[in-house]
Amino acid sequence: MSAPLLEVRGLRAGYGELSVLRGVDLRVGAGEMVAVLGANGAGKTTLLRAISKVEAAPQAGSVVFDGVNLASLAPQRIVELGLSQIPEGRQLFGELSVDDNLRLGAYRRGRAEREESLRRAYALFPSLAARRANAAASLSGGEQQMLAIGRALMARPTLLMLDEPSTGLAPRVVEQIFGILAQLRSEGTGILLVEQNAFLALRYADRAYVMAEGGVALEGSARDLAADESVRRIYLGAALDEER
Amino acid sequence: MIVFVLQLVVAGLTVGSAYALVALGYHVILRATRAINFSQGEFVVLGGLVAYTIVHVLHASPWIGLIGATSAGFALGWIYERIVLRPAARNGDIAVIIATIGCVYILLYGHALIWGSLPQPLAPFTGAQGQAIHPGGVAIQEQSLWVFALLALAFVALWLLFDRTTFGKAIRAAAVNPVGAQLVGIDVNAARAASVGIAIALAAFGGTLIGPITLVGGTAGTAIAIKGFVGAVVGGLDSPLGCAVGGLAVGVIEKLLAGWLPYQAVDPVVYALLLLALIVRPQGLFGRKDAVRD
Repeated sequence: MSAPLLEVRGLRAGYGELSVLRGVDLRVGAGEMVAVLGANGAGKTTLLRAISKVEAAPQAGSVVFDGVNLASLAPQRIVELGLSQIPEGRQLFGELSVDDNLRLGAYRRGRAEREESLRRAYALFPSLAARRANAAASLSGGEQQMLAIGRALMARPTLLMLDEPSTGLAPRVVEQIFGILAQLRSEGTGILLVEQNAFLALRYADRAYVMAEGGVALEGSARDLAADESVRRIYLGAALDEER
Repeated sequence: MIVFVLQLVVAGLTVGSAYALVALGYHVILRATRAINFSQGEFVVLGGLVAYTIVHVLHASPWIGLIGATSAGFALGWIYERIVLRPAARNGDIAVIIATIGCVYILLYGHALIWGSLPQPLAPFTGAQGQAIHPGGVAIQEQSLWVFALLALAFVALWLLFDRTTFGKAIRAAAVNPVGAQLVGIDVNAARAASVGIAIALAAFGGTLIGPITLVGGTAGTAIAIKGFVGAVVGGLDSPLGCAVGGLAVGVIEKLLAGWLPYQAVDPVVYALLLLALIVRPQGLFGRKDAVRD
């Protein structure tokens, strides 16, 4: 097997003195969609934060992205390498326009690249094009999630990490967003997806990790995990009930 | 009578321009770091003294003095953010307030050690000292005309920077959402340092502009800092236009009061104005209501 796009080894990370992750191992290949499941407080969000080095900080272990060890790199250099995150709560620039939010997404890219990415983003999300001059804060929840995805794509990532993209959105919007993620994957973008809705995540992902208490409790193909009795009982039970 | 009043208004707009630039500096730093930089006035004085050194010690033109002082202001502001504001911010808002007040005294006595405690004259940008035009009998110093023109220029430059350039928008993005900014690859620390650099550059620019009218150096910094703050609060700390108009208004009110009241009574009335403004319209004349809770 060739070297994965992202390889996390023995990652310990947290906030200040506090460790939340206690040695996480995880890989994502190019064009692969990998889901991270687990209960609240298992460390899923901290994992993404520590990889991006925004808010949480790695304390031990290594994160290698596209052959580069991220240990000594500042967050903006990580984005420059092609690793973008769409965080929980989206973290848009509310007072700036949709257009400005998107353009800032390509802050680390050249002007020509920025204009081309902007055209692509509006082609992908036509509803954003209609509201390009509006303040980001004035958009609906679904539009804000699309803007967050559009903004992250402006940096031309080869790996996209998403934290709970389905939270608070109508099922129709969720389907649309996952359709776009599937399309990105087919174009070769790696996707690392943290999701509460295990049922949804396992339906779209190739592989998945189940986290518990700051470590990886289970890993496998999405198909195997969806069939796994303990996963079904603990993580899919609620989701299956919701589906009914 | 009318000439007398207009004369006071011109004098007020001239000193008010310095308050306006200080007020804009408060706005820029507040927006980027959520702190009020109380040492803003001392940087006005320091900017004037740097210009004085360039013009009267190195014998360069006043324009070189203006460019030199403004550039030095930007560099000092950058350093100031790195060694004072950023470390203080790790210890909370109160630490920042104490640090910026402490810097008032470091700068005040620091520049007295270098330049002495007596104010120095600074050459006007054009013409002889005090040279004026007299439209309708009102004397307007040539230097005042430069002050008005260059205040307008600084204001337009700020607007272009924050509303028309990607770099300016990145600074705003870093201020409104540091986490989001880092995730798109904006260096949030650099954005903050640049903001403080811009604010201190504005202060130094203002000190050089009014230097030929008010003298440079001495202990004027505290009054400029407080009056600039009154202007910013009256106009609206979150509005650049409000800060500029508020600063000018404080200058005009101060000079009009000085036309009739004994000088000891002027400053108390100006400060009473601050209290009144805070009570009646806490968001300022041009501020948004939702900015108050910040």
